[in-house]
Amino acid sequence: MTMHRLTIFLAALASLLLATTLAEAHAHLDHASPRVGSTVKAAPREVTLTFTQKLEPAFSRIEVRDASGARVDTGKATFSKTNPVEMQIAVKPLKAGTYRVFWHALSVDTHMTEGNFSFRVGDETAQ
Amino acid sequence: MSSRILRAALCGLATGLISFGHVRAHEIVGSRFFPATLAIDDPGVNDELAFPTISTFKTGDDPSAKQTDISAEFSKRITEDFAVSFAPTWSHISQPGVNGASGFQNIETSAKYRIFKNPEHEFVASFGLNVEWGGSGAQDIGAERATAYTPTFYFGKGFGDLPDSMALVRPFAITGQIGYAFPSSRSAATINPDDGSTDIDVNPDVLVWGGSLQYSMPYLNSSVKDYDFPDFINHLIPIVEASLQTPVAHTIGSGTVTTGTINPGIIWIGNYYQVGVEAVIPINRQSGTGVGVIGQLHLFLDDIFPNSIGRPLLANSTVQGRPMFGK
Repeated sequence: MTMHRLTIFLAALASLLLATTLAEAHAHLDHASPRVGSTVKAAPREVTLTFTQKLEPAFSRIEVRDASGARVDTGKATFSKTNPVEMQIAVKPLKAGTYRVFWHALSVDTHMTEGNFSFRVGDETAQ
Repeated sequence: MSSRILRAALCGLATGLISFGHVRAHEIVGSRFFPATLAIDDPGVNDELAFPTISTFKTGDDPSAKQTDISAEFSKRITEDFAVSFAPTWSHISQPGVNGASGFQNIETSAKYRIFKNPEHEFVASFGLNVEWGGSGAQDIGAERATAYTPTFYFGKGFGDLPDSMALVRPFAITGQIGYAFPSSRSAATINPDDGSTDIDVNPDVLVWGGSLQYSMPYLNSSVKDYDFPDFINHLIPIVEASLQTPVAHTIGSGTVTTGTINPGIIWIGNYYQVGVEAVIPINRQSGTGVGVIGQLHLFLDDIFPNSIGRPLLANSTVQGRPMFGK
């Protein structure tokens, strides 16, 4: 490969990498409240997930379940109009214990992602 | 140093290169993201471009030859579970006192089908057929004239289904491959340029096997515990790969010693590409001398171009993406 061809190729590769910073990405979990794997003393009234990209509300959802697998959320996620990367769901009054959050997200570029994590309500020293 | 020695080294090297398949893919299974591995293939079936992959190491010949490879691999899904790929490699090989040789290795192609995927247990298995097309590469660097076929089984397993009491083990995952490489022609005659004699090389059947052990910081952050690490740390996957090959039949010319490398390294995962670098440590003298290095830029075409070349030719409207690169 001549130097000229190599230069052209590297320029094309750089353009492709630049394009990746401009394209729409799919949604990854950026952070959560309560935080992933955390222990909180006060029971949260809602679970909020913040993603890296805008969500399609019609195809994104959250479930919160207790240790027995019973749902403790109110059934329907809500989406912020001012912050379209965020979805949240209200939860029933939570007793001390471990809860698991299951989420499915569809980003605006039609990539589906999913994941789950747990958090604990109660005294951290009681684990 | 005669050209005969270099040629003999290259023939031995060509046998060893059977294991260095270039068909590497990333894979998503439930909450688990399996990165594209650098030394071995993984169970992934996806649209992607690995370029460049650059490696430099010293071969197991005596004296060792220094080899530098620059390779690319383009993989394209036909359906959600079936992909084909194409992988050229350019090599430069040199030994002290001998003029170096450069050229393309034999072209490698692959077809891979994902046969099983279980998101709950983060398990995936695939089957593929890799073909190294004999005679398509440069004779100067020892490209084989015989075509090599390697049917291969791949698997990946994440440990995310372990109980919460073992939470810090859950980001671990393993991948593995085992294949059987056999040539289209059992032997090949070559003319020795030094004395005009004829050498007969016997092409062995080779068991091509290996695996990886990886620890996903993205998985730790998004599925186990958010330690509030810096964002850069949350994108890293420390990894150790083993790439091995064992001649198992028709070994009169090759012997039966297992050769290969152990590759500790690290991969940084982004939304659209990954960057990886690993040390290349030969497992014995026949595998090489010293410590080499391999690095790779790997583009996720399914994410960069989700509505065009990054989707299967026969596609569904919704595709699965990486689930866990937060913070």
